[in-house]
Amino acid sequence: MKVVMQPIEMVARFTEEGLPRPVKFKVQFEGDSVVIVIDRILLRKEEKIAGNPMLVFRCQSVINNLLRIFELKYELNTCKWFLYKI
Amino acid sequence: MKRRIIFHIDVNSAYLSWEAAYRLQQGESLDIRTIPAVIGGDPQTRHGIVLAKSIPTKKYDIKTGETLYSALSKCPNLLIVRPNYLLFRQCSEALRDVLKEYSPTIQQFSIDEYFLDYTAMENLFGEPLQAAHTIKERVKKELGFTVNIGISTNKLLAKISSDFQKPDKVHTLFPEEIPTKMWPLPVEDLFLVGSATTRKLHARNIHTIGELAGTDPLYLRSFLKSHGLLIWNYAHGRENSPVRPGAIPIKGIGNSTTTSFDVEDLHEAHLVLLSLVETMCTRLRHKGYLAQLVAVSFRTNEFLNYSHQRKLSFSTDSTNEIWEIACQLLDELWQGQPLRHLGVRVGELCQNDFIQPAFFVRDRVKERKIDRAIDEIRERFGAQAIIRSSYLHSGLKPIAGGVITEEEYPMMTSIL
Ligand SMILES: [Mg+2]
Repeated sequence: MKVVMQPIEMVARFTEEGLPRPVKFKVQFEGDSVVIVIDRILLRKEEKIAGNPMLVFRCQSVINNLLRIFELKYELNTCKWFLYKI
Repeated sequence: MKRRIIFHIDVNSAYLSWEAAYRLQQGESLDIRTIPAVIGGDPQTRHGIVLAKSIPTKKYDIKTGETLYSALSKCPNLLIVRPNYLLFRQCSEALRDVLKEYSPTIQQFSIDEYFLDYTAMENLFGEPLQAAHTIKERVKKELGFTVNIGISTNKLLAKISSDFQKPDKVHTLFPEEIPTKMWPLPVEDLFLVGSATTRKLHARNIHTIGELAGTDPLYLRSFLKSHGLLIWNYAHGRENSPVRPGAIPIKGIGNSTTTSFDVEDLHEAHLVLLSLVETMCTRLRHKGYLAQLVAVSFRTNEFLNYSHQRKLSFSTDSTNEIWEIACQLLDELWQGQPLRHLGVRVGELCQNDFIQPAFFVRDRVKERKIDRAIDEIRERFGAQAIIRSSYLHSGLKPIAGGVITEEEYPMMTSIL
């Protein structure tokens, strides 16, 4: 996986406890916007690098008939989603 | 009684490490700790001084405190990053949150230094050395920056030992280790031995801490006054101040703004001042201080700077009261030149536990209630949730400034 850290438009579901679950997102790829639906969340962890809390999700989806693994980040202070690594 | 165990936790090149960790988290591939980089001043105008530097700047002999201009002449491709005090505070608080898990008694000594009283905590977290390593590794893994931890039986020795070898190390300096670990060090490495004292000591052939310790204290007093006795005691590792919980005392709070147009009208100037005083006084109250000094400064369109201050016979944290004094100061100083920059500042702060009311000031009870209510509304619903009607149709911002200045987070202090 390579770090890309691209801001993305996200549809997410929040549980009653306030935990977000990413559902699908739109990402710019070679000038086109592509919608990727998340098939599975493999791992969720919290990080607090530089005192800035973020949720990291490792997910898997089938993109162009290929099973791909990637990581998403949710920045709590700004409510922004990023495609972190793919 | 068991002997005290004190930790001194010091972030390695704090401003730079914090900026580096933040950039890595934001997906940057370059770690600015690994290239010649400094924090300080303004990267565009290249004005200002070096506040922190990366280890690779050592090659170029760049010093903390030197001007960016001179640093750039030594290393033309130096990366300059503007200090982000909000980030620094966030990192400092995150570090405190980790430390709090290891002891109820923590003292913030500067923005990047804490003392932690580990006495009697062994049963919970193990031997001091082991606990210090756990803390150091947790901070590195969870917060993304490294610290040095010094361990001893008092704050002085803990602080000296955290400075031994950097980065990412744990050191001890127990009283029995003083002759081997501390006495060979140059005398200027001792806490509170500044450049003036160093010069006087060198002139008398005292070069190491050990030589200072071996000198007759009365002789030291003859040319250094009581400070001589203090540093003589320090040279023997004698210091017994408690770890004082709470934040670092601050000297003043200020706020300023550059206006997008020339301010020429007295009413407008007063409104700009009010917008600055609003944020400043909220911070003053939030920190639990009262001010005994108010200062106003401005810069004209010809870039001339003026300032004026007044010592108060009472102490206050009231927005209205401080604004009125600021307006008086402005009126006394200003002759109607077009203004491009306005600033206010309060100083001589004291704790607000008790208020000594002056005889001839108005009843404050109501004003304090209003201030408190406004603070709470703004905290809950945002700064713009409640504004003064005098700003309606004025084209001016009702709340201005609000940047944290360095003064609120001093890097150094002389009281242990
Ligand atoms: Mg430091």
